[in-house]
Amino acid sequence: MDFLAATIRIATPLLLAALGGILSERAGVFAVGLEGMMLAGAFAAAVATWASGSDLVGIGAALAGGAVIGLLVALVAVRFRADQMVTGLSANIFAAGVTSYLLRANGGRAPSIHLDPLANWPVPWLADLPVLGPLLFNHPPLTYLAAAGCVALTWWLGRTQAGLTLRATGENPEAVFASGGNPARTRLLAVIACGAVAGLGGAVLSLQQVGTFTDNMTGGRGYLALASLIVGRWTPAGAAAACLVFGAADAFGLRLQTFGLPASSYVLQMAPYVIALAVLAGLGRSAKLPAAIGQSLE
Amino acid sequence: MTDHLLEMRGIVRCFGAVRANDGIDLTVPRGQILGLLGENGSGKSTLMKVLFGMLPPHSGSITFKGRELSGHRPAEAMAAGLAMIHQHFMLIEAMSVVDNVMLGWAEAGRVLRRKAMAARIREASARFGLDLDPDAMVADLPLGRRQRIEILKAILRDADLLILDEPTSNLAPAEVAGLLGILRRLRAEGKGIVFITHKLPEVLDVCDEVAVLRAGKLAGRVPVAGVSRAALAEMMVGRDPTAPHAPDAAAPGAVRLGVSGLRGAGLDGIDFDLRGGEILGVAGVDGNGQLELADTLAGLRRPAAGRIALNGTDITGASVARRMAAGMAYIPADRARTSLVRAMPVAENFALRDSGRAPYGGTFWLHPKARRAHAAQLMAQHDVRAAGPSALVARLSGGNQQKIVVARELDRAPTVLVAHQATWGLDPGATRFVLDRVMALRNAGAAILYISSELDEVMAIGDRIAVLSGGRIAGVVARAQADLRQIGLWMAGQAA
Amino acid sequence: MNTLAFRLFLAVLLAVLCAAALIALSGHNPLEAFAAIASGAAGSPHALGVSLNKTTPYLLAGSGVALCFRAGIINIGAEGQIAIGGLGAATAALVWPVESPVVAIGVALLAAALAGAAWAGLAAAIHLGRHVHEVLVTLLLNFIAMLLVQQALAGALGAPGAGFLQSPLLPRAAWLAHPFAELGAHPGILVGVAASGGLSLLLWRSRFGFALRVAGASRQAAAYAGLSLPALTWGAMLLAGALAGLAGGIEVLGIHRRLIEGFSLGFGFKAVAVALLGALEPLAVVPAALFVGMLEAGSLSMQRQVGVPSSLVAVIEGLTMLFALAAMARR
Repeated sequence: MDFLAATIRIATPLLLAALGGILSERAGVFAVGLEGMMLAGAFAAAVATWASGSDLVGIGAALAGGAVIGLLVALVAVRFRADQMVTGLSANIFAAGVTSYLLRANGGRAPSIHLDPLANWPVPWLADLPVLGPLLFNHPPLTYLAAAGCVALTWWLGRTQAGLTLRATGENPEAVFASGGNPARTRLLAVIACGAVAGLGGAVLSLQQVGTFTDNMTGGRGYLALASLIVGRWTPAGAAAACLVFGAADAFGLRLQTFGLPASSYVLQMAPYVIALAVLAGLGRSAKLPAAIGQSLE
Repeated sequence: MTDHLLEMRGIVRCFGAVRANDGIDLTVPRGQILGLLGENGSGKSTLMKVLFGMLPPHSGSITFKGRELSGHRPAEAMAAGLAMIHQHFMLIEAMSVVDNVMLGWAEAGRVLRRKAMAARIREASARFGLDLDPDAMVADLPLGRRQRIEILKAILRDADLLILDEPTSNLAPAEVAGLLGILRRLRAEGKGIVFITHKLPEVLDVCDEVAVLRAGKLAGRVPVAGVSRAALAEMMVGRDPTAPHAPDAAAPGAVRLGVSGLRGAGLDGIDFDLRGGEILGVAGVDGNGQLELADTLAGLRRPAAGRIALNGTDITGASVARRMAAGMAYIPADRARTSLVRAMPVAENFALRDSGRAPYGGTFWLHPKARRAHAAQLMAQHDVRAAGPSALVARLSGGNQQKIVVARELDRAPTVLVAHQATWGLDPGATRFVLDRVMALRNAGAAILYISSELDEVMAIGDRIAVLSGGRIAGVVARAQADLRQIGLWMAGQAA
Repeated sequence: MNTLAFRLFLAVLLAVLCAAALIALSGHNPLEAFAAIASGAAGSPHALGVSLNKTTPYLLAGSGVALCFRAGIINIGAEGQIAIGGLGAATAALVWPVESPVVAIGVALLAAALAGAAWAGLAAAIHLGRHVHEVLVTLLLNFIAMLLVQQALAGALGAPGAGFLQSPLLPRAAWLAHPFAELGAHPGILVGVAASGGLSLLLWRSRFGFALRVAGASRQAAAYAGLSLPALTWGAMLLAGALAGLAGGIEVLGIHRRLIEGFSLGFGFKAVAVALLGALEPLAVVPAALFVGMLEAGSLSMQRQVGVPSSLVAVIEGLTMLFALAAMARR
């Protein structure tokens, strides 16, 4: 039971970031910047909550913080048509630097931020169910949000004109232009939205799980989210499944450690990366990318 | 003014010093199919892009349904009732017909009403004889059907004026007949149609009037009834359009390229022998295996089955480099990405396939000085006009770019040349240059496979004419015996 | 090329101006901060030596990355290759202690280069064999490499005692000397300059380099020219991996004199930054790497003297990369 709860806990920030990444990649822009977007979101959430005392302000700041990195990526990769992958990496370096710098901007030393992690919101009635109750219906708010986001994004991509346009932009931007759309604008907005949603993923770390911000606290989770959305074939449900697998691998490692089993923690920590690599290698050519991903417009 | 659906007055659009549209007037009434004729580069596409809001005009006015259109974008043009059907379909292959129709269409709703839209597609499809299943994936449909999706989109959006850009260039003859029938039904419903093409028979078949563009100006506009092909052709080119025929070759020599049972993606069993001193012209509608055949012969694709022999040696599995060493040259259709590297200078493009050969280089090092000197020499020999050997290829005109490819491939003194769409997009002078060089190579004893979708050109240059259809050779005939009707039937998929 | 150099210069200038605004925002004088960076980076022979040492890994790894990028192979795995290279050097030096410094250093650096090349080769094998995008492969292998180093340090290679994972001190024979007494720098910078010179020659004067440039410009043209993309990918990746591994070995032998966990952290992405800033031209990577190296060396004295956090350097690097990308973009 603890193991499953830990799995969901670890998967939540990954899933939010992956959902953002789906927006970006389905619109045709590689989401390598997820790491920086998450980090900016985590930072903005922690600092804003600490300064204002309101979690809601913190969550708003996470959206905004991630969106700023998204905007940077969108400008350089979409507007200036630079290589999307390298742009994402650059944004990650920038985010790591700027969050660390701003944390110390006032007087050169990081303030000590201690926040109460977001409390669990047990769902009335459902949370009292045996077994399922504590597992599924007793989580902090952002976990529910991630699950709801997964459903909402599936619906939005498949059932709305805007979602259709976004997918079409990732497949054939010229066709979108010819049917009266504006593919560049769609991509810009998609990448900014990607940043905002991934920023929420960062807020899960700083607001919901740790209660503070430390330098580079995402520690590669953005890259893992990127791997999970690819392993999940660019669908929210698939990405969620992949995030849960990575979460389970991580949780399993933690469990083994607490039991003091001989397997080394470092080898176990490799599990998510090795699994991601193995799945990607297993998919091989059959992993069908959006047709126009990586291509710049016109 | 009169009740013209569309009225364009004095349209001027320049690209640098070139006046692509030089004061063009064009009107289209309701219920008319207007043919818009012109050679490559005559300004047809530019004019239509201006109309559709993809390029702003430098001067002139557009009135559509009595309202002035200016500074508009494609979205506004579409909202006003214009529809453009591009030569390359603007469809998303990984999506269904209904998704493609709903894309960007306000009536589909912000939350998509997929079922209602599918019903409307079925209804319109029945009414106009389009035969489209809304749930079919575009990727699974043949090109003719895909075009009908574009027409369906225009119909459902209540377009009053449809612009079709070279709509028959990707279609087999049977599909063309179907398209022309659909256009007639649309005309009967009072739509205006602009039919852009450079194919005279279709114009005479379906159009009511025809406007001819030449060098950015309107060369004339006449009713189709009573006009002759020759008159139209002369209006279009301003000269006698008959191409020079290659003089008959001396008796062909030994078999240089032997192909048997060649199969693979797009190829469904190809056999032929090609002899020295002979040009085998391969006609056919684009997309019937031309690219696959050319690439497979040149070693860029692996066949699934079959045998290719070059001068008697089996080269079926040989690398590109070995094929070149054995005497094969290749002029591919795609200049922009395959046969040239646009971002590299002229000299390096001459060395593209020969970097390990004198004078370009040795086994490990390049010889930049010798390369430069040889490039300058080739440029002079083949009249490549560029600032110099270090000018970037991207800055050259299409004709000069193709001269580089031809010069490079012929410089190796090949015994077999495979050429695919070798004159595509070239002006008449450059076309003539390419054809002359190919014929000279034949006269020197080489064997040439000349693949082109321009039937006139194949007929002009080929000693024998073959027709490629559905990935196989539908028939072969010596030029002297060639019968255009028979060739047309072969192109439509009838085997000999 | 001139205009490109100018645009890249503007990119750096713009990044520095943004950094100045950030400094001002935190209540410091930007000029004072920059002066502190300058003096920390080149204010004394010793400072210059530190800058040169910091420049070395960026130069070695960055030249290799530039070569890969030229061929259209987005290799962001320098970090993992550096880590494994360091692991190789430390293992060689510890497992096979020899008296002669020439042999000890030679063997250790050879092991570093081979280990780095092997790690890059693994990435190439997965990329080519299973058609996984090279960015994902190299990225994931970075994490695995870092954890492998930690695993080695937690196991057989480790030395207890420190608060973090590290190996015992390497035998003295394997230490890179500091022949320039005044500077206090190890000779790695010379290796770096030689490597970038060699790569430049390879790129512009050899058939292999020509093939790489063709492949980078157009995959179709490369196939048409009869070039083997897998062979080119192998070649570029192995070369870049060897150089990155060498960088890791030099870090271990020349700076730390032991293997430390996380010693390669961030090097890989900075190698990409340096390659871009050098417009993917190996010779131009020299000044680019020097710029980043001096920035890093100077940032600590900026933090000490002026109180501006040294993480400002990452801000400048990230912004420089972003602006450089925009400057190098078409049109």
